[in-house]
Order: sequence, then C-alpha cells, then structure tokens
Amino acid sequence: MRERRLAIVAAIFAIACLGSSAAQAEEFYAGKTFRIVVGLSPGGGFDTYARTIGRHLGKHIPGNPTVVVDNMPGAGSIIMTNYMYKVEKPDGLTMGHFNGALILGQVLGQPGIEFDARKFEYVGAPVSESVVCSLAKASGVASIEQWKAAKAPVKLGGVAPGATPDNSAHILRAALGLPVQVVSGYKGTSRIRLAVESGELAGACWSWQSMRVTWRKALQAGEVAPIVQIVPRPFPDIPKVPLAINLAKTEEAKQLILYGVQNASAYARPFILPPGTPQDRVRILRTAFEATMKDPDFLADAKKARLIIDPVSGEELEKLVAGVFTISPALQAKLKEALYSK
Amino acid sequence: MPVSEIAGAFASGLTEVFAPNTLGLMLIGIGLGFVVGILPGLGGPTTLALMLPFIFKMQPVEAFAFLLGMAAVTATTGDITSVLFGVPGEPTTASTIVDGHPMAKKGEAGRALGAALMSSLVGAIFGAAALALAIPIVRPLVLTFGSPELFMLALLGMTFVASLSGESLLKGLIASGMGLLLATIGLDPMTATQRFTFGQLFLWDGIGLVPITIGFFAIPEIIDLAVQRSAIARASVEKLGGVMEGVKDTFRHIALVLRCSALGAYVGVIPGMGGGVSQWLAYAHAVQSSPNKERFGKGAVEGVLGPGAANNSTLGGNLIPTIAFGVPGGVMTAILLGAFTIQGLVPGPSMLTPEAQGGNLTLTFSFVWMIVLSNLITVGICFLFLRHLAKVTLIRGSLLIPPILLLIYIGAFAEKNAFPDLLLVLFFGVLGWLLEKFHWPRPPLILGLVLGPLAENRLFLATDNYGLAWLTRPGVLIIAALTVAGAVYPVLKRRLREREASRARGRHRPRKSRKLHFDRGTLFTLAIAVAVGAALWQSRTFGFRPGLFPWAIGIPLFALTITQLFLEVTHGRELPHAAQEPAAEIPAHVVARRTAVIFGWIFGYFVAIWLLGFTVGGVLSTFLSLKVGSRERWPISLAITFAMLAFVYGVFVSALHVPFPPGALFDWLGLASP
Repeated sequence: MRERRLAIVAAIFAIACLGSSAAQAEEFYAGKTFRIVVGLSPGGGFDTYARTIGRHLGKHIPGNPTVVVDNMPGAGSIIMTNYMYKVEKPDGLTMGHFNGALILGQVLGQPGIEFDARKFEYVGAPVSESVVCSLAKASGVASIEQWKAAKAPVKLGGVAPGATPDNSAHILRAALGLPVQVVSGYKGTSRIRLAVESGELAGACWSWQSMRVTWRKALQAGEVAPIVQIVPRPFPDIPKVPLAINLAKTEEAKQLILYGVQNASAYARPFILPPGTPQDRVRILRTAFEATMKDPDFLADAKKARLIIDPVSGEELEKLVAGVFTISPALQAKLKEALYSK
Repeated sequence: MPVSEIAGAFASGLTEVFAPNTLGLMLIGIGLGFVVGILPGLGGPTTLALMLPFIFKMQPVEAFAFLLGMAAVTATTGDITSVLFGVPGEPTTASTIVDGHPMAKKGEAGRALGAALMSSLVGAIFGAAALALAIPIVRPLVLTFGSPELFMLALLGMTFVASLSGESLLKGLIASGMGLLLATIGLDPMTATQRFTFGQLFLWDGIGLVPITIGFFAIPEIIDLAVQRSAIARASVEKLGGVMEGVKDTFRHIALVLRCSALGAYVGVIPGMGGGVSQWLAYAHAVQSSPNKERFGKGAVEGVLGPGAANNSTLGGNLIPTIAFGVPGGVMTAILLGAFTIQGLVPGPSMLTPEAQGGNLTLTFSFVWMIVLSNLITVGICFLFLRHLAKVTLIRGSLLIPPILLLIYIGAFAEKNAFPDLLLVLFFGVLGWLLEKFHWPRPPLILGLVLGPLAENRLFLATDNYGLAWLTRPGVLIIAALTVAGAVYPVLKRRLREREASRARGRHRPRKSRKLHFDRGTLFTLAIAVAVGAALWQSRTFGFRPGLFPWAIGIPLFALTITQLFLEVTHGRELPHAAQEPAAEIPAHVVARRTAVIFGWIFGYFVAIWLLGFTVGGVLSTFLSLKVGSRERWPISLAITFAMLAFVYGVFVSALHVPFPPGALFDWLGLASP
C-alpha cells in the first residue's frame, strides 16, 4: 500500500513538473477539502482573520475546493506550528495560521519550539501590525518629554512574555531608557483597557489598527492619548506623534526597536504550508491569497468585522523571516536581556 | 433619558424579536444550542465561533437572535446530560452532576430534570432582568473592581470549601489544596516559566475543566454502573414522573434559587469569571445555606437548583460589561463581541442611547427578550419530552455503558481538539474513582482548580500595581470581613452542634484504641502526601515569582496531608468514614472482578481510539463492548453500533468537521484515512 501511495505521489509530482500547472491544479483541488488550522482559540483575532479569509479563499483557488477552518489551540500556537512542521502532510491541502512572534522566539531560543521557521512555505499575511503606545491623561504623562522626565516608572499593561504589549514596553525601556514598569498577566488588551480606565495602569502598547477602534471613545475624549509610535512611517491620523526609531540615540537602540518590534509587525500573522509542499501548489495558493486580499466581497466582510487588511505577500514574508535569522549573537543577547529578564 | 423613552425601547425590543425572520433564526439558534448543550464536550463557545461566519449577511437583530438563542439554551440543556448520565453536557453544568445524578440513581430523574429546567428558566429570566436594570449603572460597578478586589473575591470563594467538605473538613482542605496546586500546572502567566509540565506541550495551558470533570464524575459513574449491573435508576420506578415535583421544588426553595441567580449574574459581570466559576460557587452556597449538609452529594434537590439557576443567569451578567464597554465577561461573550464588530456595532454608550438619537437601545433591550424567550421555548419543549427523557435512566446499564464511554472520549477530545486530553480523562477518572472510594470530597478540588488561576493572577497584578498598599483599599477590607465571617461561621456552627451532640450523649467519649491502623485508604493518603512532596521538590527550581504560589499552597498542604495521615494511622477506626462502609449487597470478590473488567474496557476504548481513530476504533470498541462485554444479542448490538457510527460520522465528522486524528496504526502503516 505504501509503495502504491508513493507511486501516486511521484506521479503527481511528475505531472506537476510538466508545467501547465493551472489545469492540473484545477484537477487537484476540484472536489477536495482545503483546511486552515488556527493555532489559537476560536473567537480570537487570529481565528477571526482565518475564518473571514476562509469564507472567500476557495473561489480563488482553481478547482474551488471546500475550505474549512479548524482550531488546534495550545501553548500560544506552538503546538499547531510544531505539528505543521513535524506531522502534517505537505500536500498543499492544509494551511496553518500562527503567532509570528514565535519566529523571533525560535531565534532567541524560546523553549518548546521544535520547528524551523525558515523551512515553512509562506502564503501571505493579511495585515502588518503597527504598534502605538498610549497613556491615560490621568497618568500625568502627555508627551514623550514628560515621560522621559517622569520620576516614578510608568506602568504599562502586559499579557504574557513574548506578547506584543510586553515586547513593546520592554523595548521602550531598553532602547529609549524610558522609565517603564511592565505589569504583565492581563488576559488580553480589553482587560488592559479596563485597568487603564480604572487607574490601575498608566497605559499600554499594541496595534494601532485595533486600538483606534476599540478605544475610540476614550481617544476621542482625550482621556487616553498616543505618545509614541513604533513604526517606520507615522500613521496619517496621528502625524505628530513621534517615532520610536527617531528617538533612538545609538545604533544598538535602533536595532533593538527594529528587530524587537518594528519588523516583527509584518510577520505577526502569517499563513504557512508544511515544509516540502510542492512549489506549484505554493504558487497557486499565494496567488489565491493575494486575489482574496483584493476581492471586494472579502474586503466588505473584513470591513464589517473591522479587520484591517494591509497584506504582506508570501515572498516578502520569506525575506523578512530570513532576515530575523541574521541577527548577530550580540544583538540576540541584548534582545534576550530586554525581552525576557525582569 | 425620559422613562417613557426607555419603556418604549423596551417594548419595541420585544416586537422586533417577533419579526418573522428574526424569530425563525432564533428558533434555528435554539435548535443548535439545544443539541450542542446535550452533547458532552462540544461546548457553547466553540459552536458560537463556528456560527459566526453565517451572520455577515444578517441584520443585527437577526444575528443576535440567532447567536443569543443558541448561547442562552446550552446551559439549560447541558443540565439534562449532567443529570441523566453524570457526564457534563457543558463545562458550565458539571456541578449539576454532584446531586442531580444521584437523584437520577434514586429514581428521581424526572424530579431532578424538572428542578434543573425550572431553576434554569428562573436564572435566565433573572439574568436578563439584571441586564435590563444594570445597564445604566454598570460602569462604576465594574470599575470599582480592580485587581486587589478580584483577588479578594477569589479568596472569598475559597472559604466555601468548608461547607463543601462533607464529613471531614481536613480532607476538604487537602482536596482544595490539591485543586489549587493542579491549577498551577502550565506556563506561569507572569514569567512563562514551565511548572509541572513534564516537558509536555499540551500541559502548557494547564488542565482544562472538561477533561477533569469528565474524569472525576463520569468515569466513577460508569464503573459504578458496571459493578451494580443495574439501570442508572436503582430505586422504584413510580417516582420517575416527578417532573412537577421538581418544578414545585424550585418554588419551595425560591429564595435559594433567586440568591443563586443573583450570584451567577454578579459573577458574570466581573470580567474573567463565567459560568465555570459561578456554578461551583452557587453549589457551595446551596450547601452552606442548608441546615442539613449531609444530604448533599447524595441527591439533594437544592444542589441541582443552585447551579441550575446560576449557570443560566451568568449569561445575562456576562453581557452587561460586554455591551457597556466591550469587555467580555466570559468566553461566550468574548465571541459575541466578534459579532458586535461584524455587525458594525460599537459596544459602549451608543448601545444605551435610543435609536432616535443614533443609538441602539432597542437592540440592547431585544437581547433581554431573546434570553427570556429562548429559555421559555426550550424549557417548554423539554417539559413535553421530559418523561421520555427520564426513562433513559431505566435502560439497563449494559446497553448504556458502551455508547457513553465513546461519548466520554469524544467529549474530552472535542473541547480543544487535543488528543492528550484523553489521557487526562483516564488519569482523573482513576483519581476520581479513588477519591470516591476512600471518601474524599471532589467538589472542593474543582473549586480550587477554577479559583486558583484567578487568585494567583490577580494577587500578582495587585502587588505589582500597588505594592502592599492594596491591602488597605476599602473594597478589599469589606470583602476581607466577609471572607473571615464566611470562614469562621460554619466552623463555629459545627463546634456548637458537636458540643450539643456530645452533651446529649453524655460524657462518654469513644474509647481510644492504641493499635496502629493501616489500610488501602491510608495508602491512598500516603500517595497524596508523596505526590505533594514530589511537587514541592520539583517546584524548588521555579524561582521566586513562579514559585511563590506553589510554595504557599504546597507547604501547608503537605503539612495537612501528613496530619491526615497521622490521624488515619493512629485513630483510623474512629474516623467518620471507617464505620460507615455500607453493607455490600454484592460480594467483594465480584465487585473486584467487575471493577477490573470495566477498567479493562475503559483502557481498551482508549487504546482502540488511539490506534484506529475515533470513527473506526471508537465504533469498533462500542460494538465489542456491547457484544462481548455486555453479551447483548446481535440485532441490538448492531443497531446501537450503527447508530453510534452514524452519530459520530454524521454529526462530528461531516457536519461539524471536528478534526479527529487518524489512528496511530494508520500513520505507522502510511495509510492516510481518518
């Protein structure tokens, strides 16, 4: 039986290599079920992106397979990503969605990671997350100058080590020397928002795309204000808020900001295929993913669900991920110290 | 806002629900929720998430009628499975088992179901009313609860252990300590240090409530059923139809039902505490407020009424912070929050502003009606079939065990789609059986497990934010006073009663035997002590922050366990349980043989599912267990087997796309078939 299966696989390879892949691919995907496996729980941000994409992806894949979305939550998506790497068949019928922060985690030796992020095939990412830090008016800090001069550490909310709010806050302290105390352990940014409003915390950092929607009322009322943005170019709606990278005085500080937060934002929400997936199927799925990102029906759904769509292509992701692995050992040590030590 | 305007919105909220499309979608939602609630393992949150994509094309009222209809009834129908089979239908209905299932065994399934459903309805209406009334005042209500107050609330919850402990307070304390210690398994939330994970990734997120409750309650029930060789109902048949009796019970204990509804709604308002916590607090409250606690765990109707009301009123409570400022109270409302954004609604003041001024007040009030109506409809339908449902308890156990065993494993898997959870069910199944056998109370352990993470998380947040100054916050002081009162009162009462009892008995103290005592129960206690000691030894490397909580629990727990061990060895024969061993109707060697056989089947199912997958292995072992184990006739065995095959394949594989892993055997042979 095994030989027969091998023979079939070999035959499929041979046919695929013969070119004119579209027609063959149509045959391949027709009548099949295509699975998207989300490494986090149902109902969260990762899940919502995957399910909204799942509703539209099928019609852009030749042969129009049925698309289903499953969850394999656990260990901040490490379980699913390990599974993708070690167990899942590279047949182009299963695509994973995981927390891209694990890629930096792999480089820095985070325990539990058994995959090599360089070996995955990257299909694309729907959004590049860009971090902004906001503080409550009640904290008494209304500008970066006031922050620098603050006598007591400014309390920023965190979720868990390695999460965006935590990493951003740690990097601000390490790279810019701002007085920061990270209070970690809040279960999600909604709890952080509440703690800021009750005066428990001064503020927090996470993606501006999400913050400006969920915190709209407080931002409009001026109860909460953006103080610094950790992005390459300022957001059009907050042009005067300073960029962290411009505040960095040394090359090392710039590198910390760049690799600790800024670059990571582009590969934060990647869709991947298991290592060794046939290249023609990778191409088909990348094209389908890009087409979905431009599909007006998909964009309408995304707008309704308030998902920001700012896609990153598979090729771009591949380059960015390769870039993470070029971080020098010295910078790795600095990043480790900044992110993981208390 | 003028009162007439609010009343107008309240009324039009009702008429909106009755629009044909809306009502139709709500009925579909109710149907789905009904089934999901009954099926163990497959929970409301997962189903809500699966249904979310369908609401893109709906109007807001329609979408929420569909989703809330589904969400509102899962806790109601989940109670049915808990009562009838001792398997939790929903994670939030596990506590209904503790007294609901013993009632079914006593032949009072109808009464238990009537009580569960009626109290659910009262709870749901209470929760909805709380939602309607609390909306204007919710903001200060939630903002006064910072991390310090939330920590104190968890502590207050722990004092309920005293009343859940049954005959031995010491054993109850040890059990709750074990729960707290088990709660620390996984990544520590502050530093991501691994605690007691044994290098296993599936333990990183800790132990889920579903595998532990299934193991704790369902497995011992299955063993008991197999040993007794009877139907679930052991007692006379004529009591079965006591549905109305259960309804009457609800009103006989209406004060308790309302208090537990209030408790559920209030716990729901606090972000991060959902039905999983409120049901156990309600159960504990039911026990605590009862004059004769010894009836509990053996089929006291109050033990059904309390959780029944609380797990339903929690949804209304959960919705309050969700609507008012987009902070979900629980898991289900976290997913409902996704529905808000899909529908372009922004939680917050606009939800409380009348439509004329650009708000959505009518929609908000329609939520209230949806919760009330969907529960009315569900309970109405249930009452029509209740007598038939209750008859399930009359079916002979040999027919029920094979399919229930399969359901147990599917339920364990389907919550997180994680195969290792099956191992946890086995482990906690054995532990639960031992605890029951040696008279250790199980509910305190679960209470420790649900409150532990909250206590640890909020204690560190409080200390990080305020240093030690949080200890003097007024809210903290008030809850502290309540906690002390709650902890001291039952102990004092017990003392008082014991003193009176001993006075009545005169001054005769039981004779002390000087002989040392050691039996299998003592061995079990010794095993607990060894396990706690080993955990303490392992936790020495955790470092200060991740280690503080395990040490703070482990050290006193170890001391308590040693004390218990000492008491058992020196006073073994005088301890409460020793004398009360019921006269066995079945000879001991038969019990031992039957127990060994059913354990064989329980492990056999696991191995078959592991090797051959759920569809093939699960169904095959169901057949073997029916034909070989229970010696059923061919037609019956085949009929049940095919029904289970259709059920597993039709519902879980085809309709719900539950990603069952292919059997390990297929993997080894390189065959890829599910």
